Amino acid sequence: MKGLALISRLRPFGESLLAGLVGLAVGAIIMLIYGFDPIEAYIALFRGSFASLYSLSEALANATPLILTGLTFAIGLRGGLFNIGAEGQVYVGALAAIAMSLFQLPAGLHLIATLLVAMLAGALWSLPAAILKLTRGVHEVISTIMFNWIAHFLAYYLIANILVDPRRAEKTISILPSARFPILVPRTSLSYGILVSLFCAGLVLFLLWYTTIGFEVRAMGFNPAACRYAGIKRWRTALFAFVIGGFTAGLAGAVHVMGRPPSYAIFSGLGGLLNLGFDGLGVAMIGRNHPFGIVLAAIFFGGLMSGGRLMQISPGVPLELIRVVEGVIIIALAIPELVRLFRLFKWPLIWRRT
Amino acid sequence: MKGRIRLLTLLVAVSLLVSGLAVMTGGASAGAALKGRVAVILDVGGRGDLSFNDMGFKGTDEAAADFGLQMDEIQSASDADYLPNTRNAAVSGKYDLIIGVGFLLTDAFNTVAAEFPNQKFAIIDSVVDQPNVMSIVFRENEGSALVGALAAMVAAYYGYPKVGVVLGIEIPVLYHFEAGYRFGIAWGNKKYEQVKGTNPNIGLLWTYTGTFSDIAKGKAASEAMLAQGAGLIYNVAGPLGIGDLEAVTEAVRAKGQEAGPPFMIGVDANQDYLGDGHRVLASMMKRVDRGCYKAVADVVHGTFQGGIVSLGVINRGIAISRYQDLLDFIQFGINAKAITEADRAKIISNWLEMRGKIPYWIWDAVSELEMKIVSGEIVVPTANTVEEMQAVRAQYPLP
Repeated sequence: MKGLALISRLRPFGESLLAGLVGLAVGAIIMLIYGFDPIEAYIALFRGSFASLYSLSEALANATPLILTGLTFAIGLRGGLFNIGAEGQVYVGALAAIAMSLFQLPAGLHLIATLLVAMLAGALWSLPAAILKLTRGVHEVISTIMFNWIAHFLAYYLIANILVDPRRAEKTISILPSARFPILVPRTSLSYGILVSLFCAGLVLFLLWYTTIGFEVRAMGFNPAACRYAGIKRWRTALFAFVIGGFTAGLAGAVHVMGRPPSYAIFSGLGGLLNLGFDGLGVAMIGRNHPFGIVLAAIFFGGLMSGGRLMQISPGVPLELIRVVEGVIIIALAIPELVRLFRLFKWPLIWRRT
Repeated sequence: MKGRIRLLTLLVAVSLLVSGLAVMTGGASAGAALKGRVAVILDVGGRGDLSFNDMGFKGTDEAAADFGLQMDEIQSASDADYLPNTRNAAVSGKYDLIIGVGFLLTDAFNTVAAEFPNQKFAIIDSVVDQPNVMSIVFRENEGSALVGALAAMVAAYYGYPKVGVVLGIEIPVLYHFEAGYRFGIAWGNKKYEQVKGTNPNIGLLWTYTGTFSDIAKGKAASEAMLAQGAGLIYNVAGPLGIGDLEAVTEAVRAKGQEAGPPFMIGVDANQDYLGDGHRVLASMMKRVDRGCYKAVADVVHGTFQGGIVSLGVINRGIAISRYQDLLDFIQFGINAKAITEADRAKIISNWLEMRGKIPYWIWDAVSELEMKIVSGEIVVPTANTVEEMQAVRAQYPLP
């Protein structure tokens, strides 16, 4: 009995391993077709991701915001919501963090105040979707996509007009040194921001599995009808999932601009902020929507990003092809969870096979 | 005793010889300590723009071929890549020189150059104040004044009320272009008045699209300008010129013709060969390739020095495109697969016909402006900050 439980716990790891190997194999075939040595390329990928303190630090630096956006999506999904609003909430959080550098505050206080404001900004941006869902029944996929675009163009406006660096028109003002996360490993991009991400992952684990409201959220995800019968309030769980998700997404934007050397600013066109929210979706999928899995998946994602850079230097694989290979590996890894999602999804009656 | 002295002399002689050899070989290896590789780091613009980035690649590639070096090309997917890409190249220790093509790499180069004081760097379009960085900058305002004057006079000649410019991301480098272009248009208006007696008052339409990669935005901006009566559109956004030219081509074809007007004005590379050779009137050539070539050559010759290298009209780092440039860059276009060998003859004859239709006094006027810039009689205004740019806009409003 105990052995069976262990096997069922290890099964996700086995599935992911298999999926990862399939992804690597398909990636290798693609590189072979284009005339690049896949073994040399994968050695570079490994060297650039986890083989040294430097590369591991770069992987963790990339993982820092992805852990947080992965959590946003996972909380929503655990509560039966398909919340893909992290992308816009990241922008808003980052903008709020930058705006906090219009003010002067003492060193430690400035950092904490900036984090808090960014968190609140992210949560505020998630509220309209929650309210539309609860009062008018608007599906959150539609409303969050729309709010992502509103945030996108709001960011364009603020970057170019309000938060612009007067000496460097291509970017916003930089986060003041008093609000920056110090670098954790010298001569790398890894800052103390990673601790915020890990702390949040722990907190979400606690909230979802060890509190009443967390239980209600998860129950709502499993079976809304049973929850209604049991007297669990839909608006409570949905609001909880949206707001906590907004907090973590806002923080993701903040840790990115506060802990990412050398510019500590947002570039026009949104640059490095782009896709942090959507990548979080992939991270949550690979991490099976569990905080522990999300941390591992985000580090894997981050390693893939930093290792991919080295593939340009060593075997000289062009950036575009590297991104194709990365995409193939990520899709392969997400397949086990995608299959599960499709099984759980409540298809409209006419499409349902009987 | 005598034997001992002889032995001693022999020992001294041998040791001298050995140490002398050591010095000689040591000296030789210090002089030829080339690793044989150079790296080119590109910003988010990336290859395939037929202008800025491809020019940086071209110059480094030519230098690498001439000096027998290997060149590695490193592209950046977003601004989060600038620092890691630069650092990866420096950490690898494989490169004699790391060239950064683009202003956006400034912060990354500043950081990494300080971390690796023995690594040589060169950066295009930016000033990085470190002893191991060669900062190669261009006086784009001078060349933009030339094409601005040309654009104003040609627009007036063909009866258009406006000229346009499609710019990329608002960075100081682009202010150089805008400031020079404004000055040039005003100069062209005045020149036209001197020759023809009436001031055409050609106005300027300008847009910062906020991108160096979204070609569709170049097309959209150009379409809007053409609809408002622009006769020439100056591309100051690398690859967006491909979109600008699409809009120009559609406008030309809507008139049932193949040759302009309206025309595009190319940038950075010579882009005259695009549009079948008769829809791009001229190009403001910024010889990024010469800058990159110089940096590599200096490293190979052991004369590399940190500091600012400024290229302008006077040293041909900046120039308005001429016949010989067309011939050179048709080959560049063929290599980039933008055109084919079969197009060559047609492009040359189309180009000659297009230029021949412009009255000779206009070309003379452009040459006159060029000579005055070289001699220092005319100093073209420039701008580096928002305030300076606003001052130039106030001086040359060009409504």
